[in-house]
Amino acid sequence: MGLRWFHFALWGGLIAGMFLLPQFVSNGTMRTMIFANYLAIFAISWDVLSGRTGYVSFGHPFLIGIGAYTTAILTKRFDVAVEISIPIAVLVTMIAGLLVLLPALRIRGSYFALVTLAFMELLYQLVQVIRPDLTGGTRGMSGIQTLTRGAANGYYLSTTLMLAIAVSMWLLMKTRLGTALSAIGMNEESVRGSGLSTTRLKAFAFLTSAMIAGLGGAFYVHYLGSLAPRALFDINFLFTIIVAALLGGTSTIIGPMIGAFFMTFLLEYLRPVLPGAERYFVYGAIALLLYMYQPKGIVELVRRGFKGLGKGRAA
Amino acid sequence: MLQILIQGLLLSGLYALIAMGFTLIFSIGRVLNLAYGAYLMVGGYIYFWISQTLGMPKLMGVAIAAVLGVLMGVLKYRLIVKTLKGDHVAVEISTLILAVVIQAGIVLVFGDSSKILLPIVPGVINVAGASVTYNILIATLISWAILLGLYAFVRLTHTGRAMQAVSMDAKGAAISGIDPDRINLITWGISGALGAIGGVFFASYTQLSPSMWVAPLIISVAVVIVGGIGSILGTLVVAHIVGFLEVIVVATLAPELRGVFTMLLIIGVLVTRPQGLFGREEL
Repeated sequence: MGLRWFHFALWGGLIAGMFLLPQFVSNGTMRTMIFANYLAIFAISWDVLSGRTGYVSFGHPFLIGIGAYTTAILTKRFDVAVEISIPIAVLVTMIAGLLVLLPALRIRGSYFALVTLAFMELLYQLVQVIRPDLTGGTRGMSGIQTLTRGAANGYYLSTTLMLAIAVSMWLLMKTRLGTALSAIGMNEESVRGSGLSTTRLKAFAFLTSAMIAGLGGAFYVHYLGSLAPRALFDINFLFTIIVAALLGGTSTIIGPMIGAFFMTFLLEYLRPVLPGAERYFVYGAIALLLYMYQPKGIVELVRRGFKGLGKGRAA
Repeated sequence: MLQILIQGLLLSGLYALIAMGFTLIFSIGRVLNLAYGAYLMVGGYIYFWISQTLGMPKLMGVAIAAVLGVLMGVLKYRLIVKTLKGDHVAVEISTLILAVVIQAGIVLVFGDSSKILLPIVPGVINVAGASVTYNILIATLISWAILLGLYAFVRLTHTGRAMQAVSMDAKGAAISGIDPDRINLITWGISGALGAIGGVFFASYTQLSPSMWVAPLIISVAVVIVGGIGSILGTLVVAHIVGFLEVIVVATLAPELRGVFTMLLIIGVLVTRPQGLFGREEL
C-alpha cells in the first residue's frame, strides 16, 4: 500500500498537535476551528466524489442538508435519541447519494454538474413547502438538541470526527480501490477496458461521499442547534465547500483540510475590516487568483517549494 | 384561462430574453457561464445607479449597462476562459467563483438591502381583465425583436455564419480561414450585452438584490438544457414551456411550487435525453 513510517509520524504529529491546541488558544479561535473542522469534513466528502472520479457535484449541500434535516426532524419532532437518529440520517443520506448516482450513469461533465445543482434547488424549494410542520418551512428549525457544551468540547468532538474521517479516507485511497477511483477521473473508458465495473466503482464513490456528507451534516446540525433552508441549500455554501477542496488541492486528503482551515481563518481575519457579506469579495478574489494560477492548489505549491529547496541544496 | 395565456406569454418573453445570452455561449463556446446571472445583476444595478441615483435618461442607463456587459463578457473570455484553454469543468468552477465575487462586490458598493427599480416604461393596460404593465409588455416585445434580430444575424451575416461554423467544428472553421478566437470574443461580447439588457428588465420585474442572480441563472440553465445546443428557436420554444409551466403551476396549484417543476424538467430531460429536445446529438 505504499505506507511509510513518516506517514504515520506526520499523522501522529497532526493529531497530537490538534488535541493539544485547546491548551494554548482562546475560546474564540476554537469556535473558528470547529467551523473549519466541519468545512474540512464537507470538503473531503466533495473531494472523494468530485476530486477523484471527476464527477463534479454542484449539489453537495443537497446531501449535507438531507443528513442535517433527517436527524433534526427525528430528534426534535419525534424525540428519537441522538445515538439512533444520526445513524439513520447517515443511511438516508446514502440512499440520497444513490439517487444522485442515477444520472451519473448516463451523463458526465457539465451536464452532471447541472443535474446536481438542480437537485439542490429542488430540495430547497420542496423543504419549504412540503410538511412545514416537520421541516419548519422557510424559517427552519431551532432548539435542536446539541451534543456538547462549551467551545473546548465542541472542538474535541469535531476534531475527532474530522481526523477519523481523514485518516480512514487516506487509508482507503491508498488501497487499489482508491487508485481505481482516481483512474475513473483520468479515463473512464480505460478503467472499463481493464475489466473493472465502473458502475460499481462509481456507486462506491457516491456512497462513501454521501456517508461522509451525512455524518458531517448530522453532527454539524447538532453543534449549531438550528438550521434554515437558505443557509444549507445555498450556492454560497456550495461555493465555500468547493473552494476549500480546490484551494487546498483535490485528490489529496490533506488538501481539503488545509483549504478549509485557510479559508475559514481568512474569513475570520477579514471580519474586523469587512463585517458583512463583502468579505466574500476578498475571499473569492483570492480563491479565483489561486485557482487560475495553480489549479492543483496549495498542496502542489508546497510540494514545488520543497522541490525547489532540495534542488537549491544539491546545487 | 385567457389570463394564464397572457401572463404566460409575457413571462416567457422575459425568460427568452434572459436565457438568450447564456444559450449563445453554450452553443458556440461550449462552456456554461455560471457567472451569467451576475451579468444580469450588474446590468440591473448599473441601470439603477445611472437612471435613479444620478437621474440621467433611462435609455442612457440601458445603453451603459449594455456596454458594460460587453466589457465584462470580453474580459472574462480573455482573462479566464482563454487562460484555462477549454477545460470545461475548470471554466465552470471559476465562473461560479467569479459570480460570488461579483455578488460580494455588489454588496460592497450598493449595500445588502434590496432596491426597488422604477418601471422602465410606466403605466398599466387592461387586457381581457388582466392588468398588464407596459414594462413587461415592452420587455416581451424587445425580447422578440432581439431574438429575431439574432436569428437573422446568425443566419444571414458572414460573422453569424462563422459563429455557426465555430460552434459545429472549431478546427474545421479555422482551416476555412475563420479566426475562432475572434468569433468567440464577439460571442462573449454579445452574450454580455444581452445579459445586461435582460438584467435591466428582470430587475424591473422583480427587484434588485445581491442574491438575485441565482433565479435567472437557473432559468437559463433550464432553457438551455431542455432546448439543447445550438438552437435559437429551441430557446424560444423552451422559454415558453418554462414560462407557461410556472404560470400554470402558480395559478392552479400553489405559488410556492413555481420552481419545483422547472427543476424536475431539468432533471428529467438531462437523464432521459441529454442532448435536449431540439439539440444536435452530442456527448
